[in-house]
Amino acid sequence: MQATTVPRPAKKHRKWLVYFFVLPAFLLHFIFIALPSLATVFYSFFDWNGIGQATFIGLQNYREMFQDADFYVALQNNLKWIAIFITVPVALGLLMALWVSRLQKTQMFFRTIYFLPYIIAAAMAGRIWCSYLNPYFGINSVLKSIGLTELGKTLWLGDKEIALYSVAFVDLWHFWGFVMVMFLGALQQVEPTLYESAKVEGATKLQEFTNITIPSIMPTLTFIVITIIMWSFLTFDYVWVMTGGGPGNASELISTLVYRNAYSFYRTGYASTICVVQTLLSVLAYAILQVVKKRGWDV
Amino acid sequence: MKKLRPAAVIGKTGKWTLLMLLAVFEVFPLIQLLFNSFRPDSEIKAHPLGLPVTWTLENYVDTWEAGGYAQAFLNSIWICLWTILITIVVISLAAYALAKINFKGREFFVAYFLFGMAIPSFAYLIPTYYLFNQMGLSNTHLSLIIVYSASNIPFKLLLLRTFLLGIPRELEESAKVDGCTELTAFLRITLPLAKSIIMTVMLLTILSCWNEFTFANTFVTRDSLRTVSTRFVKFTTEYNNNFARVFTSGVISIAPMVILYLLMQDSFIEGLTSGSVKG
Repeated sequence: MQATTVPRPAKKHRKWLVYFFVLPAFLLHFIFIALPSLATVFYSFFDWNGIGQATFIGLQNYREMFQDADFYVALQNNLKWIAIFITVPVALGLLMALWVSRLQKTQMFFRTIYFLPYIIAAAMAGRIWCSYLNPYFGINSVLKSIGLTELGKTLWLGDKEIALYSVAFVDLWHFWGFVMVMFLGALQQVEPTLYESAKVEGATKLQEFTNITIPSIMPTLTFIVITIIMWSFLTFDYVWVMTGGGPGNASELISTLVYRNAYSFYRTGYASTICVVQTLLSVLAYAILQVVKKRGWDV
Repeated sequence: MKKLRPAAVIGKTGKWTLLMLLAVFEVFPLIQLLFNSFRPDSEIKAHPLGLPVTWTLENYVDTWEAGGYAQAFLNSIWICLWTILITIVVISLAAYALAKINFKGREFFVAYFLFGMAIPSFAYLIPTYYLFNQMGLSNTHLSLIIVYSASNIPFKLLLLRTFLLGIPRELEESAKVDGCTELTAFLRITLPLAKSIIMTVMLLTILSCWNEFTFANTFVTRDSLRTVSTRFVKFTTEYNNNFARVFTSGVISIAPMVILYLLMQDSFIEGLTSGSVKG
């Protein structure tokens, strides 16, 4: 290793070469992701149908959005979505992770199976579930055949009161295993000696859970909850392929409202306005996550 | 044998019942999907759930043909391959520089990519659509390859960088003493050590290319150019009354990823749960 002490001034002038390492990634992302994202903000001040002349209208789109009943329906549905997804999969995932983490031989089996739906495309799983939720030939005919005639008449995706929850149910099928595996990973990091000393001191199961398990997995728990909030504002595929936001606008989410305005009604400026608000909401969640992380996960 | 109290027995039974029920809940729709792909349409309609009475392979021949799956598979694989190539090349170079070399602007780039991770796909969906139209790239695979590679950069780059930070710098320094340049030190020393994480990045890229729907559905509307996921959604919307076709095309579309997952689930799980917690 003595060679390292030899000064090599000749290499000095080639320091700028390092930018050739970084720039391809940076430029690719900057040109095709960052700049277009800024363009969305720019579009949001225009009345534009995507083809013809764009007219600058200032904040008109924003004013319209805050008076748009459809926007509030979508926002409300997104909030319901968040409420469902920060509770059901988190509670279920944590409970099952606690159990699965104590299994020896069968742990891999359950992990493999619970996680499996997560790698299937949302758009594909959504269409497949549409067939199962078909009014006549899916689970309804099974329900009828076992005597639950009334329940078997449910229009799972066609009833205004139910459609959103049916789609959420399918997304839960897809998603909760991911949460469970995240928790499983966190539980395996917990110092085993903590439990041993708790046992010595005669702690109950519940005390063990609240005083050791929860504090130890707090970073993961916080991460999951904030990430779910972030993702919830962006949920699109399941709703789009299963109900398209319908019936009427019963299962409309912010993302489907954007998509319809952009590509069905060709209201590019207005769709961009909704995009800006959607992006701000999810970036806000991300910012909170980064702050919490910086603080060492103290919540 | 330990003697268990009655309450403990009930608790244990309940626990195992729930564990098994959830396992069934997760895989039953997929197993039924597989069964239904071997049944004639009329039989599925009569009994949506259940084992095939008459087994048939007819559905596969019919669906593969009618759904244009040969073309759709080629399209998806082609897009995947290019996206992997571009992603791996640009992120490994950048991750190496950001992990190993001290240079002016390094902090800026790290912060940039950290921020870039926060940009959601809907933020750039509309402008990229018009940008590619302007560039004459509407209805091309290239438009998807570009967006898939670009959008994946921040997360995968930082994932790889975190890994590279764990490889001692002395290894590369001593290679440079032996006459390597920064680039060859990276290629000969660092890259081989990072094989497993690069494998994970590749799998994640394959998964996201295969499964992506929103952009593929927006940028490519010509049937012959569609990827498997958008082809599948269009096909099952057109033939939503032919259950045999819907279920069979379901199997065809998801099978590649399910098989890949079962073969390499550790890499998948490591990548997909890799934790921004550690970051």
